[in-house]
Amino acid sequence: MKNILVKTHEAWLVTLMASFMAKDCESKRALNDFSDILFRHFTWIERELIKNGIEYDYNRDQIPIKVDRLKVITNNIIERLNAIELMLPQLSSELSFRMSKDFDYIKFVLSKMPDEEVSAFNASRKYKDYNLTQEATDALTLFLFEESYKEYELIMIYNYLKAHSNDDFLNKIFQILVDESFFHLKSFGEMMAQMGILGVPRVIHKSLYQVEDVVQFLKDGIEEELAAKEQCKELSDAVAKDSEDLAKFFDFINYQENYHIELMKDALKHYESKGV
Amino acid sequence: MISVDEELISHMSNPNNYGRLEEADSIGIGENPQNGEKVIIYLEVVKKDNDYFIQNIAFEAIACMTTVVAGSIITNEAKGITFSKAEELIAVTLGMLEHVEPEQAACSEMVAVALKAAMDGFLRSIKSGKKETLIYKIEQSCSPELEFNANKEQK
Repeated sequence: MKNILVKTHEAWLVTLMASFMAKDCESKRALNDFSDILFRHFTWIERELIKNGIEYDYNRDQIPIKVDRLKVITNNIIERLNAIELMLPQLSSELSFRMSKDFDYIKFVLSKMPDEEVSAFNASRKYKDYNLTQEATDALTLFLFEESYKEYELIMIYNYLKAHSNDDFLNKIFQILVDESFFHLKSFGEMMAQMGILGVPRVIHKSLYQVEDVVQFLKDGIEEELAAKEQCKELSDAVAKDSEDLAKFFDFINYQENYHIELMKDALKHYESKGV
Repeated sequence: MISVDEELISHMSNPNNYGRLEEADSIGIGENPQNGEKVIIYLEVVKKDNDYFIQNIAFEAIACMTTVVAGSIITNEAKGITFSKAEELIAVTLGMLEHVEPEQAACSEMVAVALKAAMDGFLRSIKSGKKETLIYKIEQSCSPELEFNANKEQK
């Protein structure tokens, strides 16, 4: 049963990456919706594992995604879903039925999805028609690799904490933080694909989400958010003279971090007051 | 700032040997005591002639992207070489770091001392018959502080 969680995790990530690669708006939208659905499957499988007292982690294989045609990756997703389908009987009948019917539709749409050339790996490092200096381009490249991993890490950490908490107040906060990181990961992933530097975030070490001291984790997390704000500010300054649009985008991301910090402070206060 | 080229992008988007080896003969950890960042090295070792040989290697990093790039490069160099050659690789790596900014040096140093910890741990386990995971903490010198931890990360 643990293997189905791993395989669904991988299928979710491949589908998310495919949504970044796609240029056709309809294909992009469908792939993004499907990746959301696969992530929800992932969380429901996780819930069944917890209910059945089965230990698990978020380890998975490296995922090769470097393709030159979208069809190659959509066919790969179909193959992955076929493999998961064989494992569905391990799940409750309700979840198995739901996933099976979702897969039928996803595979139907993917099989008809128009093919297109993929430029998400051409390393052009050109974003839209902006003329960034070499220094600004390098800073943006490093930022995107570092932060896309960080957002994926945060999704997995808060998802794990939520899955293992019965506290409604905390779970609302964790869900907001998961949603926010999804938006950031999507924004950064889209930029990476446009710049030809798309990559799957690396596997997260379990010590990061199997948190022993949540209070310390939140304290460290607040510090990290403050550092992320600083990085956004630096990047905004670095690109400001070349692109007002990009500078505004990174200011926008920067200001979003303020709210995350407040939510984390609320969670910290809650943990400390209730000794959760 | 690091200059970015296609090779660096390749290490960042698809780091070599990233992950863990389920059947590792030895695990070593390099740790930065200042910020808790870590590199974990997994080794599969075979004996050839009178030396031990790194048949397979993998790493995980709880650290920044620069460390991941260093891990990708150093583990690639270490794969398929003997322990004696790996000792040379570690010495060369640490030697080169004397001329690098401390923050960037720490990233590569963490990988080098993790490899050293995995190799030393393996040799200790040969003598004791018991698998031991060593943690070496980094400093800006070539003599890492030893912290022995027999229980954590033990297989």
